[in-house]
Amino acid sequence: MTATESRPTAQGGGTQGPRTLTLIQAVTEALREELSRDERVVVFGQDVAARGGVFLATAGLQAEFGERRVFDTPLSEASIVGAAVGMAVRGMRPVAEIQFADYMGPGFDQIVSQAAKIRYRSGGQFTAPLVIRTPSGGGVKGGHHHSQSPEAYYTHTPGLKVVMPSTPYDAKGLLKAAIRGHDPVILFEPKRLYRAAKGEVPAADYTVELGRGAVRREGRDLTLIGYGGVMPDVEKAAQALSKEGVEAEVIDLRSLVPWDRDLVLTSVEKTGRAVLVSEAPRTANFMGEVAYVIQEALFDRLLAPVSQVAGFDTPYPYVQDRIYLPGANRIAAACVKTLNF
Amino acid sequence: MIQPFTPDPLRWVADDGQPIRELPARFTPGVLRDLHRDMVRAREFDRKLVTLLRQGRTTFYAQSRGMEATQVGLARSIRVGHDWVWPYYRDHALGLTLGVPLLDLVSQCLGTNSDPSRGRQMPHHFAAKRQNFVSISSSIASQVPPAAGNALAQKYLGVDEITVCTFGDGATSEGDWHAGVNMAAVNAAPCLFVCENNQWAISTPLRGQMASETVHVKARAYGMPGYLVDGNDIIAVMEVMSHVAQEIRQGSGPALVECLTYRVGSHSNADADAEKNYRTREEVALWTGRDPITRVEGLLEHLGHPVSAEERAGLIAATHREVDEAVRQAEASGQPDWRIMFEDVYADLPVHLREQAASLRAEQTGGQA
Repeated sequence: MTATESRPTAQGGGTQGPRTLTLIQAVTEALREELSRDERVVVFGQDVAARGGVFLATAGLQAEFGERRVFDTPLSEASIVGAAVGMAVRGMRPVAEIQFADYMGPGFDQIVSQAAKIRYRSGGQFTAPLVIRTPSGGGVKGGHHHSQSPEAYYTHTPGLKVVMPSTPYDAKGLLKAAIRGHDPVILFEPKRLYRAAKGEVPAADYTVELGRGAVRREGRDLTLIGYGGVMPDVEKAAQALSKEGVEAEVIDLRSLVPWDRDLVLTSVEKTGRAVLVSEAPRTANFMGEVAYVIQEALFDRLLAPVSQVAGFDTPYPYVQDRIYLPGANRIAAACVKTLNF
Repeated sequence: MIQPFTPDPLRWVADDGQPIRELPARFTPGVLRDLHRDMVRAREFDRKLVTLLRQGRTTFYAQSRGMEATQVGLARSIRVGHDWVWPYYRDHALGLTLGVPLLDLVSQCLGTNSDPSRGRQMPHHFAAKRQNFVSISSSIASQVPPAAGNALAQKYLGVDEITVCTFGDGATSEGDWHAGVNMAAVNAAPCLFVCENNQWAISTPLRGQMASETVHVKARAYGMPGYLVDGNDIIAVMEVMSHVAQEIRQGSGPALVECLTYRVGSHSNADADAEKNYRTREEVALWTGRDPITRVEGLLEHLGHPVSAEERAGLIAATHREVDEAVRQAEASGQPDWRIMFEDVYADLPVHLREQAASLRAEQTGGQA
């Protein structure tokens, strides 16, 4: 936890200590607590009500909060996102679910033309504080319409905040912060970690500030930077390197817009080497921006070129699902190459 | 009783101003004169802004000449500052009649310091908080799903408001239009959809836009009433809008009103030679003969309260003076400072924008931060 995160308090949650939750349980808990805390919060999307969402992130919420607070919509991403914009402008706090990030295409214009722009173009007269939650990334044998990582499209749009947690603690804290914030936020949820990622989550109320990364492991030899679904493999690679006597510092970005440049630059200044990991296609990958900032700020401190491990510039394949993803071996190999430069 | 789904446009007054139905009592000569004034004011605003465009003092303008009865009639049928409006980019007559200050409109078109939108948007894309007139977007039909959401929020919050969403005929080809209308219908949201059918989407005519006979019949497919109105007959526009707005307020769910009108001018300054390029002189002449302002003048004459040439000239001159004064004030307010560019992207200025602003400051001040 960084100094800027709000620490757990008894408000909005129980008085018990931390429990172990899965990432998706943490998402559900965040929604439940925010629905309880603020009457303006509504949760909606395709199949979120009786079914509880395709991954069951909203299971039980309609029964608990009623059909007006948690409801199904027509099968239309444009209307889900667009309605969220209108509700937010009129003073509510909508949390919209898009079943898969791959399906956000029909809602794209609503995200970039309306949600992202309305504060700016109206001179601050109207604002759209909404949250779009969507499962993203691969590793679940979903083929290219259920596995893509489209975050770079949205990081390229000023006015949007873009976050992607990799732990239950961050998923809950980031979602709660997003709901309470004043900007439109897209929360990409790494679907292969929904049940694979388990961790301690305080029962008491807390938030994780958007824009702050987290150091997952301290090291001196190089900095390994990732976010979302790749983080378990990034940490696995760091462990393997450690056995070889190489200590990698591991950073989880958590937020892409804004992102924690101070944390990254401080670490890379210390280690002199950076390996950036994401599973999105390589070209115009968000990590290209991170690489640019590192080389601009620390060119004369770098001991090796900044290296990137990413997905390939192909549509996400079905059969080669696991090969496509940058696993621990590929990440470790990139680290070795960087160290041997 | 006003019925939906009529094959011919609902109208009260013929092209020459003769009533063809009994005139509702609320349209006294005084009220008709007020409406006439509003329409003249909107038209003269149009004329003056085209002049400003030709003078190079602004860069874009989308005329609404010929569509005044639709927009003024709509504005006079809803509760100002109470109901919410998600407009489209040709709605200055609507905004003006809702009470958006003329200075604000002119300032927006000139992008001056006095522009409430702070010089961020291209001309003629204004927003006005006091009138709940939500920011105009260029991207066609993208206001329709948010309007549905706005209306849904009103229903949820239990407030006695409705949402008005306007668009042109071309917008009904967009997926967002269908998504938004359906969303409102499924949720019985209090949304009044108004199609300002001016028969041209830039250079594409209505028949290149849709194979259905009219726009209003599409409402049937979504499970809402649809009304077809003579959009150049301000009595018809107000009668239907008031009726429909009342029904929506009472919980009927959304409705669609199609106002059949005509864009007499070009789409914008980008196609100033519309007649030469894609429309016939005959078509424009036909619709000029159905002018909404001369129609009200004909009606007032029929009622024994004619608008004299002097009165009309006085109205025109007064509007010109008003716009001239607004231009003077707007230009005197200067250009927005470069710092404004970085504000309102987010609620607070994030570090990367702070740094970009600092680098521009250095550039602007020759390195003197």
